[in-house]
Amino acid sequence: MHRRWLIPFATMLLLWSLVMQLNHYLAPHGAYLFIGGLLVTFGALRLGLRNGLAASLLTGLAIDAVEPVPFGTHLLLFAVMHLVIFRIRTRFPREEPIFGVVVALLANLALFLGLSFVTLGDHPAAGAAWLRIFADLGWSQLFIALTAPWFFALQERALGLGRVDLAEENRHPF
Amino acid sequence: MPSKRFDQAKPFAALGIVVLAWLLLPVVVKSFLRVSFFEMQAPIQAAASYVRDLQEYWTERAHSKNELIQAGNELRHVYAGYEFQVQQADALRAEIARLEELLRLPSNPDFRFEPARVARRDLSGWWQQLVIRKGANFGIPVGAPVVYSGGVVGRVREVHAYTAVVDLITSPSVRLAATIEDDSRPVSYQGGLNPPLAPARGLVEFVPPDIFASATTPKRLVTSSLGGVFPAGLTIGSVTRLEASTDGLFKSGEVSLDPRLSELTEVTVLVPLHPD
Repeated sequence: MHRRWLIPFATMLLLWSLVMQLNHYLAPHGAYLFIGGLLVTFGALRLGLRNGLAASLLTGLAIDAVEPVPFGTHLLLFAVMHLVIFRIRTRFPREEPIFGVVVALLANLALFLGLSFVTLGDHPAAGAAWLRIFADLGWSQLFIALTAPWFFALQERALGLGRVDLAEENRHPF
Repeated sequence: MPSKRFDQAKPFAALGIVVLAWLLLPVVVKSFLRVSFFEMQAPIQAAASYVRDLQEYWTERAHSKNELIQAGNELRHVYAGYEFQVQQADALRAEIARLEELLRLPSNPDFRFEPARVARRDLSGWWQQLVIRKGANFGIPVGAPVVYSGGVVGRVREVHAYTAVVDLITSPSVRLAATIEDDSRPVSYQGGLNPPLAPARGLVEFVPPDIFASATTPKRLVTSSLGGVFPAGLTIGSVTRLEASTDGLFKSGEVSLDPRLSELTEVTVLVPLHPD
C-alpha cells in the first residue's frame, strides 16, 4: 500500500536531486532551473488523491528543508497546485504525454510566480530581480518541455516495477 | 449511492483545514521535520561532491609528469612569497599585541581557519547560497564569516550535522558594514543584483558625498570591524557607480563583485576562538 505514494515520492526526489546538481553547474553562468510543476503533475493526473497528494506534500517538505523559505511554503504551494490539477483532470486526456507536458508547464509557471511573490517581499532591487527570475523561468520551462515525457515514462515504469496498477488507481480516484 | 467522505466532497475545504492544521502545528515539530528532511538529503549532496572531487583527481592524474613538475615549480614560487608574508604578518601581530597592552585597548577577535569544500551551489534569482561539507562536526557556529582567496564569501546561516549553509554576499538577505578603501567612514553593502548570464553585483548605500567612483575609476569596498562579524579590511568588491540618493545626504551605487563567487569549490570558515 505504501508503494503507491513511496514510489512517486522517490522518483520526484531523484529528479529534484539531479536538477540540484544541474543547478550547481549552471551557477557560474547565471542560470537556475525550477521544476516544481513537473514534480506534481504526474501524481495529480494519474494517481489517486491520497497517494498523489502524499507524494506531492512530502516532496514539498523535502524542498522546503533545503531552501531558505518559510518551512511549509513549497508544501502549501504544491498542495494547492495538486488539488487544482486533480479537480480538472477528468475533463482532459490526462494519459496523453502532450497534455501532461502542457499541464506541467502551466503548473510550473504558476508555482514559479507564487514562489517569487513569497520571496521577493524585502528585495532591495525587485525590478532587477524580476529580470533574472523571468530568465530562470524561461530556462526552466524549456527544460520541462524537453524532459517531461521522459519523467512521466520513468514514473510509470517505476510504478509498474513496484506492481502498482495505474488502472486501479484511476478506478478509485480517492 | 454511497455518500462521499468530507475530503472527497469538498477537497478545497479539506485543503483549508490542512493549511490551518499546518499553521497551528507546534514549532518544535516543524523544526524536527525540517532537520529530518535536510539530513535525509545531505548524503546525496555530499556524495555528489565527493564524486566531483574524484573526477578532478582523475583529470589531474591524466596530466603528464612535465606538466605536474611545472605546476609544482610555480607553486613553489607562490609558496615562497606567502612564507615571507606570513613572517611579516606574525611580526605585525606581535606589534599589535604590544601596542594593545601598552594602550590598554581591547583585542580584535581571533579566528580558527576551517577550510571546507563546497558541496552544492544554489544561486537563483530568489536566493544565493552554498552548502559546504563541514558543519557541527567541525565546530562551525551559526553566523561565522566565510572567506576565500578573493575576499568575503558570506556568512553561515544554518549548521547541520556535517554540512552548513552559507548565505553569499550576492544574496539580498546579506547586509554588511563596510568602508571604502582609504576612508574610515562606514557605508552599508547589500547583495541582490543578480542579472541573468552575467556576474552578480551588489548595492552600496550611505556613501559620503565627497567620494567618487565610476567604472573607469573604481574604489575597493572592504569590510568594516563595526559589523562585528568580519575582520576589517577584507575585500567585498569594487564600487563602480555612485549617484546621489533621494535624500541628497549620501550617495548610493553599485558594487562589482568577483565572478569567482559563483564558481567556488573551496572556502574558509573563520571560527571565532573566543565567542562572546
